[in-house]
Amino acid sequence: MSKAEESADVAASVAEQPFIGQRLPRKEDRRFVIGKGRFTDDISVPGMLHAAFVRSPHAHARIRSIDTEAALKLPGVVAVITGRELAEFTSPFVCQQEGAAPMEMDALPVDKARFAGDPVACVVAVDRYVAEDGVDLVEVDWDALPPVLDMHHASDPGVPLVDEKIPSNLHTRETHRYGDIDGAFARADRVVKAEFRSQRLTHVPIETRSVVATWDEGREELTYYGAAQTAHILRTTLADRLGLSENQVRVVSPDVGGGFGLKLPLFREEFTVAAMAMRLKRPIKWVEDRLENLTASNHARDDAVSVEVAVLNDGTVLGVRANLWADFGAYAFYPPSYIINVIGWLLLGAYKIDNYEYTVNVAITNKCPAGTLRAPMAIVTWASDGMMHRVAEELGLDPFELRRKNMLSLDDQPYQSAPGYPYEALTLREGFDETLAKFDIDAFRREQADAAEKGRLIGVGIASVVEPTTYGSAWYKASGDDGSGHEAATVKLEPTGAINVTAGIVGTGQGYETSLAQVVADALGSSPANVDVRLGDTYIAPYGMGSRGSRGAAAGHGVAYLAAMDLREKVLGIGAHLLQRPAESLKIVNDEVVTRSDVGVSVPVREIARIAYNDPTSLPDGMLPGLEAHRTYDPPFMTFSNATHLCQVEVDAETGGVTIVKYRVHEDAGTLINPMIVDGQVHGGVSMGIGQVLLEETRYDEQGMNVSATLADYLMPTMDTVPMIEVEHLETPNPNTPQGIKGMAEGPVQGAVASVALAVQDAVARSGGRLEQLPFTPSRLLGVLRASRSG
Amino acid sequence: MTAPKPRTIQVTVNGETITASVPDRKLLCDFLREDLSLTGTHVGCEHGVCGACTVLVEGRPARSCLMLAVQADGRAITTIEGVSGPDGSLHPVQRAFHEQHALQCGFCTPGFIISTIAYLEERDPSAGPVSEDEVREHLSGTLCRCTGYTNIVRAVCQAAAELSES
Ligand code: FES
Ligand code: FES
Repeated sequence: MSKAEESADVAASVAEQPFIGQRLPRKEDRRFVIGKGRFTDDISVPGMLHAAFVRSPHAHARIRSIDTEAALKLPGVVAVITGRELAEFTSPFVCQQEGAAPMEMDALPVDKARFAGDPVACVVAVDRYVAEDGVDLVEVDWDALPPVLDMHHASDPGVPLVDEKIPSNLHTRETHRYGDIDGAFARADRVVKAEFRSQRLTHVPIETRSVVATWDEGREELTYYGAAQTAHILRTTLADRLGLSENQVRVVSPDVGGGFGLKLPLFREEFTVAAMAMRLKRPIKWVEDRLENLTASNHARDDAVSVEVAVLNDGTVLGVRANLWADFGAYAFYPPSYIINVIGWLLLGAYKIDNYEYTVNVAITNKCPAGTLRAPMAIVTWASDGMMHRVAEELGLDPFELRRKNMLSLDDQPYQSAPGYPYEALTLREGFDETLAKFDIDAFRREQADAAEKGRLIGVGIASVVEPTTYGSAWYKASGDDGSGHEAATVKLEPTGAINVTAGIVGTGQGYETSLAQVVADALGSSPANVDVRLGDTYIAPYGMGSRGSRGAAAGHGVAYLAAMDLREKVLGIGAHLLQRPAESLKIVNDEVVTRSDVGVSVPVREIARIAYNDPTSLPDGMLPGLEAHRTYDPPFMTFSNATHLCQVEVDAETGGVTIVKYRVHEDAGTLINPMIVDGQVHGGVSMGIGQVLLEETRYDEQGMNVSATLADYLMPTMDTVPMIEVEHLETPNPNTPQGIKGMAEGPVQGAVASVALAVQDAVARSGGRLEQLPFTPSRLLGVLRASRSG
Repeated sequence: MTAPKPRTIQVTVNGETITASVPDRKLLCDFLREDLSLTGTHVGCEHGVCGACTVLVEGRPARSCLMLAVQADGRAITTIEGVSGPDGSLHPVQRAFHEQHALQCGFCTPGFIISTIAYLEERDPSAGPVSEDEVREHLSGTLCRCTGYTNIVRAVCQAAAELSES
């Protein structure tokens, strides 16, 4: 069978499934709309204490001493602990990166604070009000050091080391080369340069970080309630660093008020709370306040891409040379090169380019540590599409024609990108054509020229998104980073016929309780109403790799589907025995095993379940009792989805304000489990991308103080800045994943960053403006317009 | 530092009159969540920007993170827990949020639902059908990080249409 036929085959089998593909309203909604969700801060345990943290007021300062006496005297304060004391009974986190110095992070810093907001002591008290009073009474004797704040000069002579255990503040510098890059540049008619720089951002889930840790003295067991996108990995780390066995730790991730990649690692505050719960043998809660969240959780996106593109005069792109920089902040929660490397291997985007070289540079600075914010590689599509526009501009060619000429289509696939990534079933050129078929670009250009006559600036941007969704364990092996991409699920048909499902993925708002029920219901011929999904509790869920990237659909739902199919086989085996028919002639429909041909011959699944549990001697010879299936699944090396985004804007030449007039997405995430949920993911991702281009920015002053520490200073997209987002789907199944599922969730951020940035650039291009640094705030836009007017 | 002295207050919460003793400095949101176990009111910023903590005080929307519990003395408060019918049936605004997929993580949802109810109840019925622009103008003070607002706008329009019929 050809790949295309295989895809068609998958599509046909998916069409038979009653629930996969349905816009089913979510099962979990009810508890949220009536105010009965159960988030971490809603958990309260008898005898519970509350923690608050003493934080560094300096960007970089040695801790001479910490005086806790006054705090300890305050009525209601139970304990105060410093990094030095914690280090006596906890182990540091060691972040390994192949070919680079490992970076260590203590529970709390012992000798030195490395950024403004760095936690250095923890006060535990009867309530949070008293704990915060206690924080004010802790006296730290600081010896301030010069802060390292500029990534490009972090390793200049005389600059102090941020992490004194590594040889340089320039933690990573490595070059990757593919094809004949020198030859490409030698043959080029010209070399076009472009820059794309992002500001520092942060996640801002509306629910901040929070934890409740309890120590069961009888069982000698720690229970950790807290948002954990990767609950099992967190359990392993907790046990390891607390000197516990992994079966002495239970992680429970209750309802989570948004994760966006923030609620992944074991943070120091949460770890300290767990360690203190053990030490004091008392439950402890910590809920971060918004100031802490904006200044001291994780930041992201502080990166820059500069490219040189070797081209022929006809618009053929021969090769690309890129230099990538990232400011990783003060500590390594992740291997420092990991995120910027994704930009590296993805930078060629939708285009067929054979010769490529990229260098990554990662600096450690006195800023809040970097983490993985939804689409860590967010600027990559802006860079790959943006560089093609620069090429077109310099060659005097039509940018959309030039992009189309170099763009991958289905006919080119399977295709291997220069850095070795497999592209399959991606509708890049097809989506681009579809978008342009619905948007009359020539008419728009006329409108734009007319508008310009009247002093109005309008522009359009189109982004071609390649989104890596699901990393297989082979990817981890090849990248040199420790880890796996497999996932696990357990499906149980209980004696009454009710179905329970669990898996290693952990929801933070994606509607898994509905979409997992849909795939399992289809596999078992049941209905989503009959399927209950429990995630995030390591007592219940099998060890999986959790929710990060966009792996939930292909890995998490893929494995649940496969487990349910294993169980289906057993159900049909029992049905065959009872009905005296071959199993191949049977199917399950509406919770009954029926024959494909004879009407009236059937047995309810409930009866099969009863026999499996309560009358096992009636099972076929040799079959074991019970109805449960557990399995794991390791997805391919890398799965991609793709999308085309179109954004139309108007820039107010007087105020510099940007209005988004139209926003349309053609998404191709392969087989969709619940298109309503996918639409919601597109809306949310686009909104975040709009925030990155127009509004959000984490700012530090020259002393390294965070000056965007409230939601009045850190501007998130509001209802009046985000337009209605139109979404259409192409559904090209991936031939290598269960049911052809590809997944998505980060691509919409990439697409919005690119399409909004390109649209604004298009709007100011006539006046000679060039935009290379996000965000495009009114003052920056006015500056650019003014400069181009006077220049 | 001396321990803050509690004060006795009487509030009516979701129709029930409650007498409680609270320290002066306790925020209304903390009082609702901790003392009354009404954890549906969420705290997203504690500085009055996100709107997650919105409750109705005497029928008007108020940010419970910007109010002290003692300031609520003698007043009637409605929280998300008091919105559905006594039989558990959903309020049209709650139902619209569900049907339009206007929530993802659900953390901002109680604040949005309360704000929407207040907005639609205060709105002049003779002003004609609610437009998307009008919704955006009225509810832009509540933040959501998940949904991009598209479906929230739709849900509010749906609820408005339904409520104006009844
Ligand atoms: S918590 Fe009250 S407005 Fe944010
Ligand atoms: S649904 Fe998550 S913040 Fe609104």
